[in-house]
Amino acid sequence: MTNIQIILNAILSKNIFEYLLIDRELKVCHTSTGAHQYMEYALQKGDDIFMHMPEFLGSEDMLKEVFETKDFCYTFKTVQKNNYYMDVSLEYYNHDSALILLQNITKITEVQQKLLQHSNEATLLYRALQKIVDAQNALLFVTNSADEIEFANQSFLYYFHAENLDEIKEKSPKLYLHASRNIKSYNELHAYSEGREIDLTIGNDTFIMQSTAIEETHRLFTLSKVTDMYERTKSLEAEIEVDALTGVYRKKYFDLKLEQLLKEKDHFALIVVDIDNFKAINDNYGHTVGDEVLKEFSSLLRENIRQGDLVARWGGEEFLLTLKMDDFQKAMDRIEILRKTIAQHAFKHIRHLTASFGVSWREQCNCDDANSLLQRADEALYQAKNKGRNRVIAKEFEKRGNQCT
Amino acid sequence: MIRKKILLIGDFHVGKTSLIRRYVDHAFDDTYLTTIGVKISRKKLLLDHKEYELLIWDLEGATPQKSIPKTYYRGASGAVFVGDVSRLETIRNLDAHIAAFKEVNPDSVHVIAHNKADLLQLDQTNRFQNLENTFLTSAKEDINVDKIFTTLAKEIFHD
Repeated sequence: MTNIQIILNAILSKNIFEYLLIDRELKVCHTSTGAHQYMEYALQKGDDIFMHMPEFLGSEDMLKEVFETKDFCYTFKTVQKNNYYMDVSLEYYNHDSALILLQNITKITEVQQKLLQHSNEATLLYRALQKIVDAQNALLFVTNSADEIEFANQSFLYYFHAENLDEIKEKSPKLYLHASRNIKSYNELHAYSEGREIDLTIGNDTFIMQSTAIEETHRLFTLSKVTDMYERTKSLEAEIEVDALTGVYRKKYFDLKLEQLLKEKDHFALIVVDIDNFKAINDNYGHTVGDEVLKEFSSLLRENIRQGDLVARWGGEEFLLTLKMDDFQKAMDRIEILRKTIAQHAFKHIRHLTASFGVSWREQCNCDDANSLLQRADEALYQAKNKGRNRVIAKEFEKRGNQCT
Repeated sequence: MIRKKILLIGDFHVGKTSLIRRYVDHAFDDTYLTTIGVKISRKKLLLDHKEYELLIWDLEGATPQKSIPKTYYRGASGAVFVGDVSRLETIRNLDAHIAAFKEVNPDSVHVIAHNKADLLQLDQTNRFQNLENTFLTSAKEDINVDKIFTTLAKEIFHD
């Protein structure tokens, strides 16, 4: 008995290894007692090896080589035969025989199979979720406790011109810097925005951003691009709220803005402007020229107010203005400049015209409402007209008892 | 009798085992049981009144963590490359599987199975290539299963 047989017998007793010996004609010449259990057909001496071990079909060159090379060894890993899993090794035995060793690995392979099954199912689930997340038009990203971006969807990668997540991690975009407040991290952005939507402007794009906590450590940020929607809304607003002839706001829109201004509790002047002797322009030059004058006059008003101030057409030749100023006298100076600008302007058809200005001043925390402000400005305009036109008159607020503080 | 080795190759969970089961045992089971290692099935077939035997190797599918060991490819006369029409990445990966297989068996022949066609609506089937060696298949509905194996077998045995 050769050494290899002694070793084999010792191993075989543990029911882990079985073997077949084959001759140069590739016929079975000897088998261990338990080898038959792995075979599809009854195992007999003289059988063609391919009948029992089809694994070797296509490996005829190896089957020749094994008889000639003493250190030859080739293994088919994890072969399923008759509900067993085994590693099948082909080894040199002697010049006339080759050894086919069958190592039963069923138990460990069944455990591996279960793990692989779980792993594959998890991969399928992960990929399905990934596809769902990538299909979102919104930009999604997740940050970790170190305030780094740990995950981003395809829309996010595409927007920031990144091929993959690693590139994003390298670029490390600091979107919190685009928030209107002085925010210095994603964690701060999350704390600021949690539970509500905030606007975020990146370049020319406006996003609505939401943030959600994922466990204690991670934050999910969702950015929905609304630039187009904002522009459409603005365009629609303009169509609805703007006076078709002059291009300035209508009174209805002015009223809304005036209410907002009153809530802000800032100082501002409300001015009613009326073109002097406009009826004569219509009578002398016709209504077409009258319309042209109204357009030119409106443009002049718009050009001479600041961004944030408001101009609207009340009706006919009467206009409304608001000027935010912290001091009444400064506001009056500014209105006086506007009056002079109009008086000195060379109008296209009629050369010169003048306008009268009635002003009411809104003090901080007083009890003025929109009506009282308009009423006082209108009364002041009436006085300006009576005093000879082409002037600015203001009417102050009258305190009534303890109503105002 | 002439016997030839063919392989089913593709990503995991594309239906390789189900195609073999449908072809060999005329059966189908919806439960997903991942294949580990390799299992060989035999199928006898008659071509021009001659009997042949296909030894069909069902290989463990490729996963992101583990590619298919090339040692299994050795000595194969042909292969069925299988992708899942409901997971387009498995279709995209077929080119890489074909290249790896052809590296070991440059003279071999192959067919491509775009499997799980039962999941597609009629108008969606047009999106898949209708090339000579490519078939929309379904092990569940038994669509083109015999056809892929006999097409491959004819190419192998007639050569």
